[in-house]
Amino acid sequence: MTNSAFIAIAAAIAIAVSTIAPAIAQGLTAKSAMESIARQPDAAKDIRSTLIIALALMEALTIYGLLIAFMLISKI
Amino acid sequence: MGEPSKVIISLGGILDVTGEVIAMWILLAVITVICLAVKLKLREKPGRFQNMIETGVEYLDNFFEGLLGEKSRQYFTFLGSLFIFIIFANYSGLIPGVGMTDYVKAPTASLSVTAGLGVLTFIFLQGAGLKCGIKHYFTRFVKPIFIMLPLLVLDEIIKPASLALRLFGNVFGEEMVTHQLYEIFPIGVPVVMMVLSLLFCALQAMVYTMLVSIYLDEATETE
Repeated sequence: MTNSAFIAIAAAIAIAVSTIAPAIAQGLTAKSAMESIARQPDAAKDIRSTLIIALALMEALTIYGLLIAFMLISKI
Repeated sequence: MGEPSKVIISLGGILDVTGEVIAMWILLAVITVICLAVKLKLREKPGRFQNMIETGVEYLDNFFEGLLGEKSRQYFTFLGSLFIFIIFANYSGLIPGVGMTDYVKAPTASLSVTAGLGVLTFIFLQGAGLKCGIKHYFTRFVKPIFIMLPLLVLDEIIKPASLALRLFGNVFGEEMVTHQLYEIFPIGVPVVMMVLSLLFCALQAMVYTMLVSIYLDEATETE
């Protein structure tokens, strides 16, 4: 295989892995947030803002993967 | 990251005017015109337009008050301006034609602009921390135990950097996906992604200011 083929595969792995892991984490977070809203609808407002922050921090990991993938692609 | 922006008006290599700068000038003009239009016609009984703007400002005020408590009014000018700038900059990428030419580009889809916002946020956070007392500012870095010092100093730099990268990555990623869909099938298909972008753009502006106010809350915490 040539060098650019390796780079392409590396970019694909970077974005794939960095999507899978945060997706699982975000699913778990959303699940427990929804459960607690169902149990305690009064606290929905607080839970929602905390949920968005938590999701945003996890989203950042995916974005780092995306940026690395773009960096790799530009090296081909 | 990505390709360097094309220089439209060269000013000796230091302060070159690129497509993003032109887009920001247009945004500046639009925001100024809206503000002046409201300010000059300020009435006791609000009309339709004034009512709309008042609702928006009230929403922002409540949003920051929920996060910062009674401190929010003191910092509202900076946080509110940040929110308004980011949301306008994000939405400017959805206007047809923006981003397709070199002359007008969505500002937040460029790492230089978001890094600039990150530097601004860094200075603001340090300034707000220092304003609460120099002793208080420095004890924050050695609070639980002295060994934490390098980590906490590093943390102060990483916070704005990750803010900048998150905003850039999200907006740039959206633009790229929309562009790729346009390449595949130009009629109708990109609309799907653009509708999603309507949601994400507002969410990113909210997340940015939300995180800044949480960091601010940490920095100005007094017991």
